Amino acid sequence: MPSDLQQRRDAEPRPLPESITHRRSAVRRFFDAWPPMVLMAIAWLTLMLIIALAADYIRPYDFKALDLRGRLQPPVFMGGSWRHILGSDELGRDVLSRLIESIRVSLLIALASTLIAAVVGVLLGFAAAHFRGIVEQLVQVLIDLQASMPFLIIALAVLAFFGNSLMLFVLLMGLHGWERIARISRGLAISANEQGYASAVRDLGAGPWRIYGRHILPNIAATLIVSMTLNFPEVILLESGLSFLGLGVQPPLTSLGNMVGYGREYMQTAAWILLAPAVVIIVTTLSVSILGDWLRDRLDPTLR
Amino acid sequence: MLAYIATRVGRAIFTISLVLTFSFTILAATGDPALLIMSVDAPPEAIEAFRERYGLDASVWQQYIGYLGNLLQGNFGQSLRDGRDAWDVVVERIPLTLALTVPAFLLKIGIGIPAGIYAALHRNSFLDRLVMMISVAGYTVPSFVLGLILILVFAVNLGVLPSGGQDTWRHAILPIVTLGTAGAAIIARYTRSAMLEVLGQPYIRTARAKGVPWPKAVRRHALPNAAIPTLTVVGLMVGSLIAGAVVVESVFSWPGVGRLLISAVANRDLMIVQAILLLVAVCMVTSNLLVDIAYGLIDPRLRGRSGSRKT
Repeated sequence: MPSDLQQRRDAEPRPLPESITHRRSAVRRFFDAWPPMVLMAIAWLTLMLIIALAADYIRPYDFKALDLRGRLQPPVFMGGSWRHILGSDELGRDVLSRLIESIRVSLLIALASTLIAAVVGVLLGFAAAHFRGIVEQLVQVLIDLQASMPFLIIALAVLAFFGNSLMLFVLLMGLHGWERIARISRGLAISANEQGYASAVRDLGAGPWRIYGRHILPNIAATLIVSMTLNFPEVILLESGLSFLGLGVQPPLTSLGNMVGYGREYMQTAAWILLAPAVVIIVTTLSVSILGDWLRDRLDPTLR
Repeated sequence: MLAYIATRVGRAIFTISLVLTFSFTILAATGDPALLIMSVDAPPEAIEAFRERYGLDASVWQQYIGYLGNLLQGNFGQSLRDGRDAWDVVVERIPLTLALTVPAFLLKIGIGIPAGIYAALHRNSFLDRLVMMISVAGYTVPSFVLGLILILVFAVNLGVLPSGGQDTWRHAILPIVTLGTAGAAIIARYTRSAMLEVLGQPYIRTARAKGVPWPKAVRRHALPNAAIPTLTVVGLMVGSLIAGAVVVESVFSWPGVGRLLISAVANRDLMIVQAILLLVAVCMVTSNLLVDIAYGLIDPRLRGRSGSRKT
């Protein structure tokens, strides 16, 4: 019907009600401030955190429980039963339960290690900024030494020399990335010392612990947090890599890399054992990176 | 310029000597390798003989001096497992590792740099976003997962390429692709941000304002300046040619230096570990040194500074 078409073409677009346009721009403003990717990253990380904290309560089976008659069951979406939603492994252990436990272990190691790196880095960086002279030179030498070697090689050497225990492993992972934080906190502390507020509290008689801890640290915290978000996914990758090689977290404890490593032998027949943890590793590191980039843009325009 | 180079060389030597001391110290602090290697119920005479054979009965200082002397003579000790010279065991693996890392390196540069430049010149275009997305994925997908996925697709499902081993050149394809992808992502990201920064500089605007056509401005003014930060990353990758394939070699059962290192760590064959550690340290420090010197040649402003380079 030409007249109908004509009519439609001529029809004026109806003006949207005030409230809708207003709401729309509010939505747009919300998503400009919180891009969907960032929201998804935050949602995923929150989920991971909840899983890590509640691991004991939400996993359907004990992660070490064997079920030799139910070995290598496929997951639900590959024709398996609901008894093992993500299938079972070569010893009949529930993949979902192991995944939950692995998330907890990997996340805990990454968190602990990042915190260790941050504490070591900030202490050494502040020490260099405070004492200058020989101390600063020494710290610089350590930073250069650490930065000049691939950390994986250092880690492997230490593991070869000292053997492996969970405690040592966490400490070792904590050595990763401290040099970046030390470098940043040294530079920031030096420039902070030249600013008014630091010399003001110094003139008021505050000791170095107070100046650095209560005044300088809060002022540079944003930058430090951003560089910690750089460290976190690297530690996850490092831990999972070493565990994959069989040199990280040792059985009966399990971690994401560990699961991938053991699942590898069943890749042809039971790929789900390694795919589930692999996906978790990828999505988690991706989420932290997205979040870190976003934080960096928001909190600290001076970092690139 | 000479003073600049001398400072850098001095630093490099100092770093290497620190690595040496470090490796000796933890070697000495790890306790008695004899007890690690021999079985628990080995007779004491056998343990004594073992210690004497590997020079483990001298004092720490004697061992340190002897250790440095040995290294200077190219004697890196023997593999505790089969008694072969540790250095020989390591050296015979080097060509195999290079057969993976050198093509992968070329792949990284060949893809990463053009992709980064393209992305920067067409900022916010569809391809720019695609390049950046892929490069983020290249960052966050661990190489062992990427390798396993490639095996799953090309070896298990399609059956067109072998999944591991090193018999033919076809065995090298998947490891090279695995290694190259992650590196290309990193290089693309660096190149892009370096280019973007340079393109925002006043001298580009000046060049444009005095009538230099855009392609020429990019070629003559932007690219050389953006090359400096990119060179740092590339230079560091040269240093990791030996050590950069540890995980990938294990995934693809490729008998290179990396796989040797893994098995040496698992068996606690300390002399092998140490030889590889020192080899990697020398490679890394040398390539860092070369990058520093190249910096000095490219950018005369840096020669006066003796502080540490920001990476």
